[in-house]
Amino acid sequence: MEHHDFVTHNSDHYEGYRSRALDQRKYKDGADVCIVGAGAAGGVLAYELAKAGLDVVVIEAGPFWNPQTDFASDEISMHSLAWQATRLVDGKNPLKMGHNNSGRGVGGGSVHWTGVCLRFHEDDFMIKTVDGVGEDWPIRYEDLAPYYDKIERDIAVSGPKHYPWGAFNGPYPYPVREPISANSQLFREACEKLGIKTEVAPLAILSAPFDGRPPCINRGFCNEGCLPNAKYSGLIHHIPKAIQAGAEILSDCMVTQILTDGNKVTSVVFNHDGQNYEQKARVFILAGFVVEIPRLLLNSATPQFPNGLANSSGWVGKAIMPHSSHDVYGLLQEEVRLYKGTPVLALTQDFYQSDQSRGFARGYTLHAHGSRPMHMATALATQRADGTMLWGRQLRETMLDYNNYARITLVGEVLPNPDNDVTLAQEKDEYGLPLAKVSFSYGENDLKLIDHAVQSMKDIITAMGGTPEHVIQDTAHLMGGCRMGSDPTTSVVDGYGRTHDIPNLYITGASIFVTSSGSNPTNTVMALAARTADHIVDSLKQNNL
Amino acid sequence: MYKSSHYPAYDVWEQHQEWDEHTRKIVGKRRMAQVEHRFFQQEEARLLYTLAGVLTNEIGDHVLTYITQHIDNSTDSPIGESQRKVGVPEKKTLYRMGLQGLDELAQQKHQQRFVEIKRPQQEDLLRLVEQGQAPMTPAWQQVPQKDFFKKLLHDVVAAYYSHPAVWSEIGYGGPAYPRGYVRVEKGLVDPWEAKRDGTS
Repeated sequence: MEHHDFVTHNSDHYEGYRSRALDQRKYKDGADVCIVGAGAAGGVLAYELAKAGLDVVVIEAGPFWNPQTDFASDEISMHSLAWQATRLVDGKNPLKMGHNNSGRGVGGGSVHWTGVCLRFHEDDFMIKTVDGVGEDWPIRYEDLAPYYDKIERDIAVSGPKHYPWGAFNGPYPYPVREPISANSQLFREACEKLGIKTEVAPLAILSAPFDGRPPCINRGFCNEGCLPNAKYSGLIHHIPKAIQAGAEILSDCMVTQILTDGNKVTSVVFNHDGQNYEQKARVFILAGFVVEIPRLLLNSATPQFPNGLANSSGWVGKAIMPHSSHDVYGLLQEEVRLYKGTPVLALTQDFYQSDQSRGFARGYTLHAHGSRPMHMATALATQRADGTMLWGRQLRETMLDYNNYARITLVGEVLPNPDNDVTLAQEKDEYGLPLAKVSFSYGENDLKLIDHAVQSMKDIITAMGGTPEHVIQDTAHLMGGCRMGSDPTTSVVDGYGRTHDIPNLYITGASIFVTSSGSNPTNTVMALAARTADHIVDSLKQNNL
Repeated sequence: MYKSSHYPAYDVWEQHQEWDEHTRKIVGKRRMAQVEHRFFQQEEARLLYTLAGVLTNEIGDHVLTYITQHIDNSTDSPIGESQRKVGVPEKKTLYRMGLQGLDELAQQKHQQRFVEIKRPQQEDLLRLVEQGQAPMTPAWQQVPQKDFFKKLLHDVVAAYYSHPAVWSEIGYGGPAYPRGYVRVEKGLVDPWEAKRDGTS
């Protein structure tokens, strides 16, 4: 195998693979597949499709990062990894965007994720059947299981030998992470006292060397971009491999419009340095964020598609779902030092299954979760669930005990509601495109779930011997907005991500989720992308596209 | 009785030779922030500096200068705001009018500029704005008080807890590349980390 120097060679394209002049690009006259967005989904698709011999071009709005020179061990400056362009937010619970949920640049959000690599459970694909809420997916766990296997193997997920919840009980391909941080130890010990099962989190962060990359050094800055390259990201894994297999990555190129002829997409328009270019292809895959995909589809309306592309159902942009992600910070006698080690090293899914006695449907995961000074202090100042704000002497003195705080974080299922949506605003951005307006309000079930989870987190903090001091209201991740389904009148794409309206247009990523589950979404994003890749390769072979 | 640092002898910057060059450069610049503003006028910058001091209970000139410069940079920058609530003006207007609103409030209550009144009075006025209860003056007709206060507090606190002097005060080990953290379990600290009350 050819030697990969991941440290210096992923910062730009391999020699000879891309001209700096965009009118001399590799697939100027057309590619087989054009992927918009180089995040968790786009990376998988680029590699799988290029490996199958297809001509693949990936267009990414943000830069091609070099971890060694672009990343730093610093919170505030590393917000550069986020999609910081303004989104208007609305609703009863306006969402925090940017670094909270969206990435910009090659690798997308996978550059600043915490690496928690969970599978959805069987019930997650059929919550209407099981609980009478939300909607069923057109696919089941079994459809995705082989792709979860593949992704976890391909990126060497490090996890426990036995995982006690859901349909997959391990073992994971790579050994479980060891040692775990003080915060995670305290969490596990407290849960044991309460009879709550815990495990070390399955992580896309290496426990041992893999593919030229070293194991984790517990630096703790997963959300700021991994410097040693121990954490998986599309930037250092799938994208370099895709380039080697022939794919071209056009970074710093913002796709602004999709062009159609009759019932087919012919090209996309992208802007680089103020100049517009067109990229033709046979098949197009939108692999961007939950906000940007609907925005692009709505902005590409034509007389034939007056409500936006792929939107005959009216469901483009609808039923977006974050995870509820409240935190509880607890003050302990002993030092915890939340800055040390991989942020999430322990979790419980004992509260995951629906339980009628709790008075709400669905459930949640709890993570022992590290925190850094800026993140914690801004949360204490502006995001306390009781609405009070800490500042002045009160904040300063509270933060003096930073090292004695433990923290637990919720990943709670939020039910789909079509009123939570992405629409176009009047205000325009620098490309002249209307800004996205993102509206979100929790429903009654969501709020009951949060109350229950906050109580569970407080109980665990108390069992640690601590005092639950600060409850923070927050969300994490964003899903839905172009949901899959078998009925073209109530969904945007089919079970493979192919749009019902336009046969050569696919959507992948968290946008096509029907429900949110109570699990971190990235593993499912990648498994769905791998499944779509197989489907596209087969369809192209059979000339069905 | 005021609380003080559990780690009075600890200075995280003493470790900077162990940090990667990019991190060293970014963090080092914060220690030597210069007074030069591009977006704010001098009087506005002086007010922002004063507000940073009240909101963080800090008197250190270097740190307050850094916060002021940081907010000047981010307000001036064409990079977006990640999110903005519908009905809230964009960041430039929010800051400009919000600062004006605070001066209008100080004039109305004390017939002086905000920077000229005493600290307890400044705190009282900020509490009014925090609650959205400052009397309506021209500036507050353009910007919602609570949204301005929250944005100001967020930005000030984010910058404050990015300064290495503050990291030292709270005993934050901070940057750890390339060496990483070796002793991460309960009760363990690496030799170079902060020790309670200077003990090792």
